[in-house]
Amino acid sequence: MSVTRHADLVVVGAGHAGCEAALAAARMGANVVVVTLRRGTVAQMPCNPAMGGIGKGHLMAEIDALGGAQAWAADRAGLQFRMLNRSRGAAVWGPRAQCDKARYSQLMLRLLERIANIELVEGEATGLMAGDARVAGVQLADGQRVIGRAVLLTTGTFLGGLLHTGAERREGGRFGEPASYGLGKDLARLGLELRRYKTGTPPRLDRDSLDYSKLHEQLGDDPPRPFSWRTREVRNRVSCWVTRTPPVVRTIIEANLDRSPLFSGRISGTGPRYCPSIEDKVVRFPDHDRHTVFLEPEGLTTPSMYVNGLSTSLPRDVQEEIVRAVPGLERARFLRYGYAVEYDVVPAVQVSRTLAVRDVDGLYLAGQLLGTSGYEEAAAQGLMAGVNAVQVGRGQEPLLLGREEAYIGVLLDDLVTRDHREPYRMMTSRAEHRLLLGVDSARERLMALGVGLGLVPEAAFHVERARWEARERLETRLDTARVSPHHESWTALREVAGVELRRPTTWAALLRRPDLDAEAVARHVPGLAEVGDEDRQVIVSRLRYAGYLERHERERERMHRLRGRPIPEALLEQGAPGLSREVEELLARFRPRTLGEAEQLPGMTPAAIAILAGRIAGFERRGGDGARAGV
Amino acid sequence: MDSSSVWSFDLAGGADTIVAVATPPGHGALALLRLSGADTSRIAAELCPGLDIAESWRAQLTVVRCGDGLPQERAVAIVYRGPRSYTGEDMLELTVHGSPALVQGVMHECVELGCRPAQPGEFTRRAVANGKMDVTQAEGIADLIAAETAWQLRVAQAQVRGVLSARVAETRRVLVGLLARIEGELDLAAQGVGAPPGELAAELATAVRGLQWLLATARAGERIRDGVRVVILGPPNSGKSTLFNRLLRCERAIVSVHPGTTRDVLEAEVEIGGVRVVLADTAGLRESSDLVEQEGIRRAEAAAAAADVIVFLRDARTVAGPGPRGWEPDGRPWIGVLSKTDLVNGPVSGDQRWVAVSLTTGAGWEDLESRLQALVIGELGETDGVVAVSRRHAAGLRAALNELGAIRLAETEVAAEAVRAAIDHLGEIIGDVTSEEVLDAVFARFCVGK
Repeated sequence: MSVTRHADLVVVGAGHAGCEAALAAARMGANVVVVTLRRGTVAQMPCNPAMGGIGKGHLMAEIDALGGAQAWAADRAGLQFRMLNRSRGAAVWGPRAQCDKARYSQLMLRLLERIANIELVEGEATGLMAGDARVAGVQLADGQRVIGRAVLLTTGTFLGGLLHTGAERREGGRFGEPASYGLGKDLARLGLELRRYKTGTPPRLDRDSLDYSKLHEQLGDDPPRPFSWRTREVRNRVSCWVTRTPPVVRTIIEANLDRSPLFSGRISGTGPRYCPSIEDKVVRFPDHDRHTVFLEPEGLTTPSMYVNGLSTSLPRDVQEEIVRAVPGLERARFLRYGYAVEYDVVPAVQVSRTLAVRDVDGLYLAGQLLGTSGYEEAAAQGLMAGVNAVQVGRGQEPLLLGREEAYIGVLLDDLVTRDHREPYRMMTSRAEHRLLLGVDSARERLMALGVGLGLVPEAAFHVERARWEARERLETRLDTARVSPHHESWTALREVAGVELRRPTTWAALLRRPDLDAEAVARHVPGLAEVGDEDRQVIVSRLRYAGYLERHERERERMHRLRGRPIPEALLEQGAPGLSREVEELLARFRPRTLGEAEQLPGMTPAAIAILAGRIAGFERRGGDGARAGV
Repeated sequence: MDSSSVWSFDLAGGADTIVAVATPPGHGALALLRLSGADTSRIAAELCPGLDIAESWRAQLTVVRCGDGLPQERAVAIVYRGPRSYTGEDMLELTVHGSPALVQGVMHECVELGCRPAQPGEFTRRAVANGKMDVTQAEGIADLIAAETAWQLRVAQAQVRGVLSARVAETRRVLVGLLARIEGELDLAAQGVGAPPGELAAELATAVRGLQWLLATARAGERIRDGVRVVILGPPNSGKSTLFNRLLRCERAIVSVHPGTTRDVLEAEVEIGGVRVVLADTAGLRESSDLVEQEGIRRAEAAAAAADVIVFLRDARTVAGPGPRGWEPDGRPWIGVLSKTDLVNGPVSGDQRWVAVSLTTGAGWEDLESRLQALVIGELGETDGVVAVSRRHAAGLRAALNELGAIRLAETEVAAEAVRAAIDHLGEIIGDVTSEEVLDAVFARFCVGK
């Protein structure tokens, strides 16, 4: 049987990256073929049964504002919703939800199936149809072929996948699923460098075998908050449970360290520092004799509990010994043992910001294959790759987001310009303009772009815009409405505020005072008292950020202005103080014409861009111009 | 090419080759010319026929062309190969006899061969651009060249050695560590990772203390660079001008037996205890109907008001009055001198702050000198003897302290912004994140050839 299909975009892999790519491209009107091993394994969550968090929740909010599906599906598959960092300012709030894994997968499958211009093909992509630095389609194991104007690979951990539990080692991309080899060879043939990464997952336990009297219950937020503008409300259905490892776990691990594939040298790949295995933690933090363990349900219908914090690739008997030493888990029944997976990644400096492979036409990469970790990072790349494959195919401007515009911009910028040696995970500290990029502002920042690309319905945009405009009106009122020491609104507030007011001032200025508990006061301020807790906290945070926001805004405008300015020839040849040799060589080699182009170069750093911007600005101040600078 | 584009870019990386005379203008036994830039080898070969370009870092006797119609001159040349040179580029140093005409001729040849006369500070600026030194070290070079007193020299040498950079970098490291922990709080909150709040506050306090100490040395920096103002004050004919001349070791002020000889404020610079001192002699303080003398006294009082240290003289034969008219020490350090002790029979009495001195016989002089020295050095305030920051450094330190002073660690994400801003301010001092304006300000102080 040799069937040949044709599509605008062929997506290989239907994980979080593949799904978002297919949906975005299809919504933009492209014909999409998605190749997946099995329909039933669409949008799996092979590790943590949770979506979002700090940094990751930011990505989800942005994907949502650009019309993506992840937030929508998480709202519907969500079992427990929590806003992390809620006690801090709005910029670092991280929405997170425990999810029913099976339901999440079903929802995504149904969504893909419902869209007419997406065709889901079951099969294994074994090779690329490539020649002459151009990829034209993919070859399937059963002889079928899919010809596409663009091919997007989102193969996750399947390239050269190797699973480890103790000394046991078997080939596979995920628990119970085969790995893929052909594609990796073809990528190497196209001149792409591959690198070895690893990641791990903890054991799964039977929820009916846990002793809940020894576990601490962790409830969801009341009220829970949905991720997506598509969702009106969500409900908490389950609790999570918390316990801690006792000191004896260290002894057990130390006695068996030689049996860990991580430490015996059997795994050569590099793992994520931010998501260490328990054996890593014990070795790296010898001062901590207790480590927190979260027990998270994997669904409503499955008894499986995910043991967050005990990721490990130690042999089964050692895993049992460790788990049973933990209070509450003494009689735990194992449903599955922890394992580590080693896989091939394509270091992302080989792709451009559109996620197209440099120097190869028609080939895009996204997701864990590019060396990221996490469902949200993958989805964000998938969305951008899908959009840009369509835009580029149509000869239109690609969608590129700056570091100062979105976490998605930070993600892609970090990926394509820096060399990473471990799986990349999003964190708010990666965003220089963190205070501008809160979850609360994602829709303001990006939804209009989504509408422009046809990813977001205009009606939804108007509803959301009305909400943020109402907030802006309230902010203006706080900026102008005055409060005076003798006014009754103040006399009532005096005690709550705990500070004295000497002169009349505006409410905004009052709430910015560092010596007062702004949250408490805000509850009594006319106009603010009436809005919901969340909106009020967002407004208070923005007031408290004001000085920094202005600073960032100026910097953002400056960068925006400078991005289009030509880089003087002399600067390319001679470099500038503060630039590293590597950056100077980059400039001399690629000779970017503008700062915007310089930003795209692999190995270019934000710090170097700042220095270049300073040089260009300084140069302009002296009345020179780029063309004359060839001295 | 116009000079503005020269200033903006050639100084950065330096593709063109620059030349300057490094020794002062005028006649000297020898004069030193310096060349730096990519074309140095070619120019050196043409400029000095017979020079072995491959023979680097070694003095060579050679000949140098010095202009049309003039015979070649002998010169000693040293060829440096970048990056092992002052600027980090290829360099040539040429020592010739110090005739202005000869130097002029060699300069002319260099320009003919393609050199560009250097801008002030351009050699050092290239050294910074090429990572041979940071900005504070470059400033140290300027200070070193300008140093006239032992303290100026000591501080400048330390700065060139990188002592100040190291101190700033040390605090910067503390702040980077603090920022890392704050970021950890923000990003890993969910994983139960978090520093005990007391530790963050302690690290912040360490950084603030480090910066405050550095900032406190700004007073020393100012005094060492601009001088300590010492004003001699006292009634007429108490010997102020004699003391002034004695301290200067020259007859600068007119001395006479007539009271009221000094009418104006006389200023002169002198080194006391290795510190630059601006010494002022003043008119004697008394009631006077003479308009000129009145003005002189008014000026003496004004000088006293601006003084760092006051030396008050009184003729040992006079009775200690209720206090010198019109002069109050105002909490400022002062030293009392009972003068003309050779004219007194028997012991001279006074409290501990008064030194009995005879400027005629020299009795008590050493005591006075050492006390004055102690007061002047005491005026420097906080310093460990090698670090004394300049106004530019102080501005950066103050800006960093302002950011840190307003921090509320409870507002974690805002605190992170402030720490980041403080780190940037410190980076600007060292030159890690130097804006163009900073570089221009730093290098404005240099002469050509540095």
